[in-house]
Amino acid sequence: MALLEVDGLVKHFVAERSLFGRALAHVKAVDGVSFSLDAGKTLALVGESGCGKSTVSRLVLRLIEPDAGTIRFEGRDLLAFDAGALRAFRREAQIIFQDPYASLNPRMTVGQILTEPLALHNLVPPARRRERVEEILRLVGLEPRLARRYPHEFSGGQRQRIAIARALAVEPKLIICDEPVSALDVSIRSQILNLLRELQHRLGLAYIFVSHDLAVVKHIADHVAVMNLGQIVETAAADALFAAPRHPYSRALLSAIPVPKPRAKRSRIVLQGEIPSALNPPPGCRFHTRCPYVVDRCRSEMPQLVRDGIGHATACHRTSELPSSEAIVPTDGGFSPVLEKLVAAFSGGPEAVRGSGVSSLGTNPA
Amino acid sequence: MNPSPLIEISELRIRFHGDDGRITHAVDGVDLSVANGATLGLVGESGCGKSVTSLAIMGLLPKQSAEISGAIRFDGFDLLKTSDQTLRDLRGNRLAMIFQEPMTSLNPSFTIGDQIVETILRHRGGSRRSARERTIDLLRRVHIPSPERRIDEYPHKLSGGMRQRVMIAMALACDPRLLIADEPTTALDVTLQAQILELMRELKAASGAAIILITHDLGVVAEVCDEVAVMYAGEIVERAAVDELFSAPQHPYTVGLLGSIPRLDHRAEQLATIEGMVPNMAQPPAGCRFAARCPFVLDACTKAPPPLVEVSPGHLSRCIRAPLERLVS
Repeated sequence: MALLEVDGLVKHFVAERSLFGRALAHVKAVDGVSFSLDAGKTLALVGESGCGKSTVSRLVLRLIEPDAGTIRFEGRDLLAFDAGALRAFRREAQIIFQDPYASLNPRMTVGQILTEPLALHNLVPPARRRERVEEILRLVGLEPRLARRYPHEFSGGQRQRIAIARALAVEPKLIICDEPVSALDVSIRSQILNLLRELQHRLGLAYIFVSHDLAVVKHIADHVAVMNLGQIVETAAADALFAAPRHPYSRALLSAIPVPKPRAKRSRIVLQGEIPSALNPPPGCRFHTRCPYVVDRCRSEMPQLVRDGIGHATACHRTSELPSSEAIVPTDGGFSPVLEKLVAAFSGGPEAVRGSGVSSLGTNPA
Repeated sequence: MNPSPLIEISELRIRFHGDDGRITHAVDGVDLSVANGATLGLVGESGCGKSVTSLAIMGLLPKQSAEISGAIRFDGFDLLKTSDQTLRDLRGNRLAMIFQEPMTSLNPSFTIGDQIVETILRHRGGSRRSARERTIDLLRRVHIPSPERRIDEYPHKLSGGMRQRVMIAMALACDPRLLIADEPTTALDVTLQAQILELMRELKAASGAAIILITHDLGVVAEVCDEVAVMYAGEIVERAAVDELFSAPQHPYTVGLLGSIPRLDHRAEQLATIEGMVPNMAQPPAGCRFAARCPFVLDACTKAPPPLVEVSPGHLSRCIRAPLERLVS
């Protein structure tokens, strides 16, 4: 059984009201989204700003209420939960936000921030809480003595570790990571990605990873769902999607990934036109205004998400007619052999002179 | 390198005097030059001094708190010694800048047309009517659909990518010789990023302007730059042609940066990480500034600051262990 099953999720926000409070216009933020996630796996939601990926992640936690659809967590209907059951569910599912500067209370010490979930869910008797906080801090690679400090005393990467620690405090099964590394520098980003991965292996966590950085997604995700204007247009195993994206929108997204290799082999598809407004999405396929393969049928009939034998699903009328997409994702052709060796040495290969550069959970985290 | 670079920065030092009397060494002895028509990538992480360097070129640093020394020669001027009046004549004219945040760098109370027309009238004079025509033309050049109509819209009506294009149109209004782009695509989605990078390449080919591209995204650098300077803690630690830098980097920091990028071709269990923290720039370390985080560190590294030396023709590194190939062969 899947850990999380989402079916036909819909959320429309009211954008404009009449004088008497009647809704005049809706933003169709999420419009019929279905997916499932197994325990211990990572599903990435990708798409441009405004495609509804963050709204989906909030709906899944019932931080906002959907207008239609069902959400099942371990087989139980999440939308039928009363306040008590919902509170218990908060132990099972947590969220990490993009901005580590805004998501920690500046007036609480790290120790207090981490004790609060323990007390709230009464997980650990008061006498043992301090010990548990130290344990959690060590788990995310921070020194226990830092528990007495305030968030402003930490760097962005360290704060994101604290946010992860807070999510882990209740021993959840699912963590929603909403752009967890977008605000971080490259070297710090890799530390947090390594940490998330290691914690997943160690604790069997499932992640919903919301991101617009596709190289990061390729690195961390098992499954990917590509969203456009409130709908999933393609979903597949990460390897299958990156090997050969099918939907024209996925093709354009993946073809545009910048790769760290000058003169990399690529056939970039530059989309023309603007992203249509979710206030008034176009009829038919919502991508047809920007699609290079558009035909008449796309303008009137909305394509359904059709799954093939291996679970690769695409919502496009022309899936079978489109040209091969194998060379779409740019290749960096690998590093030069010398650089490959240098990188290995840098991260603690035989040439590493000191021990401190070895692990993301070392004694010297940033 | 080039006999007559368009801009030449030598021994640039910038110190900030804090309210509490602390002095921060933001930029410490930077030498850079960019030839006509070339694109230089200035790479580094937050706080390395890359944006401060660009603000110094534009003369936009606060006079009360920033102490600047060295020289920035551009087009026959030393930008650090010219009067405010001359700087105002250069800015927006021969020197232009695009900022990261297209949301906050346009004035919300004027139409985009007014803002571009103002730039043209200030530097080029002429009639408002001809300036307006030129503005429409510029908006068309940056691929804004129906520019005749869009010119009268306010910034809030435009999407992020559209606003960034308006910023570019404004920067190009007077055909600058040098365009500084500070993280121009960071706030944008990949699809828009692709459009903007394409646009920058097009414009470079058409106008022959030099570009300094400030970014932390090595993917973007690989795509549009000819040359790269990597900055760390206020210094340039490596400088090379783009192919060189990506195939045989000569500074451990660059190696760490390249290793920490998730790659498309190659699924690594673990990404390389750069452990430790950037040094406190109020008291920079005595030796190499990267020494505390460097896995290749030797005793000698912490004794004296390493000089920037030429490892191979045109490839400079501030590491006493360079060439690094020796470490792994």
